[in-house]
Parts: sequence; C-alpha cells; structure tokens
Amino acid sequence: MADEARKKEIYEKLRNGVIQYDEDACREGAQEALDAGLDANEAIFDGLVSGMEEVGRLFEAQEYFVPEILMCADALYAGLDILKPHCKQMDLGVRGSVVIGTVEGDVHDIGKNLVKMMFDVAGFHVYDLGRDVPLDKFVDEQLKTDSELVCLSAMMTTSMVGMPTVIEKIKAKNPDCMIMIGGAPTSKDLADKWGADGYAEDASNALKEAIKMVGFLKKLRDEKLNKK
Amino acid sequence: MDAEPLKRFLKTEGATLVGIGDVTAALSSEIIHLRRGIAIAVNRNLNRETVDQLIRLQALAEGWLRAKGYRSLSIPADSDRKKDKMITKLYKLFCHKTAATCSGLGWVGKNGLLINREYGSKLSWATVLTNAPFRADAPTSQSECGDCDLCVRHCPSGAVKGEHWTLADPLKEIVSYEKCRALKTRRISHSSKPNCGFCITVCPYSRNGNNHGTT
Ligand code: B12
Ligand code: B12
Ligand code: SF4
Ligand code: SF4
Repeated sequence: MADEARKKEIYEKLRNGVIQYDEDACREGAQEALDAGLDANEAIFDGLVSGMEEVGRLFEAQEYFVPEILMCADALYAGLDILKPHCKQMDLGVRGSVVIGTVEGDVHDIGKNLVKMMFDVAGFHVYDLGRDVPLDKFVDEQLKTDSELVCLSAMMTTSMVGMPTVIEKIKAKNPDCMIMIGGAPTSKDLADKWGADGYAEDASNALKEAIKMVGFLKKLRDEKLNKK
Repeated sequence: MDAEPLKRFLKTEGATLVGIGDVTAALSSEIIHLRRGIAIAVNRNLNRETVDQLIRLQALAEGWLRAKGYRSLSIPADSDRKKDKMITKLYKLFCHKTAATCSGLGWVGKNGLLINREYGSKLSWATVLTNAPFRADAPTSQSECGDCDLCVRHCPSGAVKGEHWTLADPLKEIVSYEKCRALKTRRISHSSKPNCGFCITVCPYSRNGNNHGTT
C-alpha cells in the first residue's frame, strides 16, 4: 500500500494530466495508481474527475475554449480506460436495471458516463441511450426493458427543461418506475418540483441513491405480491 | 508578429514548405479564436512515415507556440487514424487546402487538389491553427490552371468537372467526390491502391522534373 504522500502525488498527476490535456500523463498516472495498489475508483474521482472540474472552471473563466475541453476529455478517458477495469466490483445485494442518457439537445456526456460506470461496477444492468436522446426514447426503452430505474442527465439550463416531460410520460405509463435526475444545473428542489424520485449531485451519491430507490421499489413490489 | 523564425525552424526540421495564412473566413465558432493557419507541407507521398513526419513537425510547432504562451490546435494529416477521440470531431471543421491557399502556397486545381507552382499536387499537408498574431502571407486568389484540362480528360470516373477555383467562391464543387469514391469502392476488391490518383500524376505541375520519390 502506498503512503499518503505517494498517493497524493499520483492523484495530482492524474488531475494535472486532465487539466493540461496530457493523455500520456493520465495513462502513466493511472498505471502508477494501479501499481501502487491504490483504489481505482478513488483515483478516478479524486484524480481525473477533480481535474475535469477545474477544466470546467477554466472554461467559464474563458481560459479554455472548446478544443482544449475536448482534449481534456480525451485525457480523462485515456486514464479512465486503464482504471475502469480495476474498479472493485461491489456486491451490494441489490440487482436491478437502469436506463440512462443525456436528454435531447444536450451532448454533454462525461458526467453521465461516470454515473453509468458506478452502476456498472455495482452490478446493475445498464441500458445506455447515449446523449442528445429524444425524450420519448426514454419512455420506450423503460417499457421495453422494464427497468426499475431511469436516470436523466442534463448539463444545460436549456436542455434540462425537457426532464419534466419525460418524468410525466414515464409515470403515466409505469408508475412503479423510479426516476432520478442529475447534472450541474439540476437540484434536489427541481427534482421534487418535477416529480422525480431522486437526485444526486455526483456519481457516488447517484449510486447510493439508486440502491436506496431500487431496494425500496423491490420491497413495494414484494408487498404487492404478498397481498395477492 | 514575425513568423520567419518559426518557418525557418520547421524547414531545418524537414518541412518542404511552411506558410502562414489568415484563415478567419473559414473558421467555425468552436475554433474562431485560432485565426492563423500554419500550413506545413513535405514533398513525399502520403504514407505512414509521412504522417509520422508531419505529426512530428506539428508537435514542434505547437511546442514553439506554447513556449511563447500561444494556443494551438493541430489538424492531423490523416484524421482517420484517431477515430475514437473527442477532439477528432473538430478536425473535419478545417481543411488543409484552406490553410495552404490562405498562405499563398497554392491554389485548388481543376483536379480539386492543392497545387503548388513548384511541387504540384504531390505534397502532403498538415495544419496547425493558432491564436499567435502572426503577420499572414498573401493568399492565392486564383487558379493558375489556365486552359489545361488534362485531369478532366484523364479521370476515369468523370469526377473532375473542369471548374476554375477562386478564393472568392472557395467552396464551389470542383470534383464530384461521389464519383471518385464510387470508383475507389469498386477498385478496393482487386487493387492494393484503390485511389487511382490519375488526377495527381497527369498534372504538369506535379511532373515539373521534381523528384517525387515513393519514400
Ligand atoms: C466538457 C464541456 C463541454 C464539452 C462536452 C463534451 C462531452 N462529450 O461531454 C463540449 C466542448 C462538446 C461542450 C459543448 C457545449 N457546451 Co459545454 N461544458 C463543458 C464543461 C466545461 C464541463 C462539463 C463536464 O464534463 N464536467 C465534468 C463532469 C465529471 O461533471 P458533470 O457533468 O457535472 O457530472 C457530474 C454530476 O453533475 C453528476 N451527474 C451528471 N449527470 C447525472 C445524471 C444523474 C441521473 C445523476 C444522479 C447525476 C449526474 O455526476 C457527475 C459525476 O460526478 C461545462 C462547464 C462546467 N463547469 O460544468 C460546460 C457547460 C456545461 N457547457 C455549456 C455550453 C453553453 C456549451 C455549448 C452550447 C457551447 C459553448 N458555448 O461552449 C455546447 C453545447 C452543445 C450541446 N448542444 O450540448 C454551458 C451550459 C450553460 C447552460 N445553458 O446552462 C457550461 C455550463 C459552460 C458555461 N458556463 O458556459 N461543452
Ligand atoms: C477523394 C479524396 C482524395 C482524392 C482526391 C481526388 C480529388 N481529385 O480531389 C485523393 C486520393 C487524390 C486525395 C488526396 C489527398 N487528400 Co484526400 N480525401 C478524399 C476524400 C475521400 C473525399 C474529399 C471530399 O469529399 N472533400 C470535400 C470537399 C467539399 O472539400 P475539398 O474539395 O477537399 O476542399 C475545399 C476547401 O478546401 C475549399 N477551400 C480552399 N481554399 C479555401 C479558402 C477559404 C477561405 C475557404 C472558406 C475554403 C477554401 O475549396 C476546396 C475545394 O472546393 C476525403 C475524405 C472524406 N470522406 O471526406 C479525403 C480528405 C479530404 N483528404 C485529406 C487529405 C489530408 C488529403 C491529402 C492532402 C493528403 C496529404 N496530407 O497529403 C491529399 C491531397 C494532396 C493535395 N495536393 O491536395 C483529408 C483532409 C483533411 C483536412 N482537414 O483537410 C480528408 C478529409 C481525409 C482525412 N480523413 O484525413 N484525397
Ligand atoms: S482519384 Fe481517380 S477517380 Fe478520383 S478524381 Fe482523381 S482521377 Fe478521378
Ligand atoms: S492537370 Fe491541368 S487542369 Fe488539372 S489540376 Fe493540373 S494544371 Fe489544373
């Protein structure tokens, strides 16, 4: 096991690799993290994702433009490709399936992909619809797969307004399905207002919420069955 | 800002031609801040080693610019090699021929290729976009094909239409890529070189006694 200083050094390398869009540094950092026996999940979030958060700030400060952002995302994925297979599979005793996607008009999918990854390692079956997903596609896919959970991601104030429509349609067709929303402009308040069952501000909390929700749903279903 | 030092540097490192173009008119919103296109050409056929050489020259140019605090974006010679990257989406927003015409290194011939007066259309190109405020070279505004129509007559697919290119109407369709591609698709099954490339080989500018080796 690596000591704290070494760990910090590696996370810093991953973080800076993303910020300086240095794919090689991210690959090296990821390998070093594995060699040092660090937790892959932690390396992803405290290293790579923390770098992408800084990139977001640089973009807003107009220090970075679209080409830099895309190169930063490539660097993040270069590290992620190495770390992802080593994320500990968690057996949480809950099994379920999830439909996930970024809503229509929105191509931001880095955050959505991280949430998806958390579901993958937790043993959920994930149906990933990708990004810029037509609203009705969520409804259809939920019905087709009978998934317990639908996760909607939006990164723009202009695209998140499609969420209440999806929520309403899914609830009308299948009231037993749980819906969770997320992405920077969304909030717990909006989730409540739009009738979503859950909200989380980041990927690890998204998983925690999901487990709670699916567990709750299973209990409900079992109770229903027992009554019959 | 004077671009001569950068040009000289890239030439000592193996570039055949280096030009600086004001490419503002050809930029989409994502890259609108990168107003200068550095067109880099090497006098070689486009193959693996050529692509590697262009990548190296681009990296040198980017390092040079970064050391001076400028932004840059390399458009690779062959974007197909980096298919699965996010940055790849930006590559199709910019065309090497544009950087070359804007920096006065040639015109778009009737054959749709960038034609340089000295080397014809046998050069392989790559571009580095930058926000460095270089003084731009004078652009090429007209085709110098004149009355020649060799490529029109020799193209086996009838793709070369015989139109003159001008900087004033740079996007006019000069070659029917549909037809050229259709021929390539047909040849792919029985030829190791599906691009017939007659439009390059027949051009007098490309044959001007230059030593266009296959290496
Ligand atoms: C990367 C990025 C891009 C990339 C996207 C690449 C990609 N494939 O994703 C590119 C360059 C393509 C891009 C394009 C544009 N972008 Co942009 N982009 C960003 C940026 C810098 C970072 C986003 C990011 O990836 N963050 C890192 C990830 C890890 O964090 P995250 O996405 O927030 O995800 C976490 C949580 O939100 C949560 N989460 C996410 N989804 C979900 C879902 C569920 C169910 C749950 C529970 C949780 C959850 O968990 C994630 C992990 O912890 C942000 C700025 C910022 N500060 O956020 C702007 C930003 C989102 N973009 C913005 C804009 C305006 C655009 C453009 C319109 C062009 C422009 N002017 O730049 C286009 C939009 C194109 C379109 N139609 O969608 C604005 C949006 C403003 C608004 N209207 O609200 C922002 C906020 C920047 C700004 N301030 O101007 N962008
Ligand atoms: C067919 C083809 C060929 C044929 C060409 C046949 C012919 N007679 O043109 C052959 C095999 C010979 C060939 C050669 C090359 N090709 Co080629 N080719 C293609 C292909 C398959 C289709 C071309 C196409 O549809 N073009 C679209 C038309 C609309 O654009 P265009 O004619 O190329 O360029 C226009 C603009 O540059 C504009 N323009 C010029 N100056 C200015 C100035 C301003 C201000 C503006 C706004 C516009 C402008 O005018 C041009 C003519 O209308 C594409 C791949 C694809 N799927 O697209 C690659 C492609 C176009 N080729 C490419 C390259 C790099 C080349 C080479 C330059 C290779 C090299 N690095 O040396 C050489 C060209 C050599 C030369 N001297 O020009 C790249 C271009 C990348 C880029 N960002 O520009 C592509 C996209 C392949 C790739 N994925 O990398 N090619
Ligand atoms: S490559 Fe061949 S088919 Fe295509 S334009 Fe040139 S001569 Fe015509
Ligand atoms: S063959 Fe003649 S017409 Fe065709 S590009 Fe060359 S010079 Fe122009």
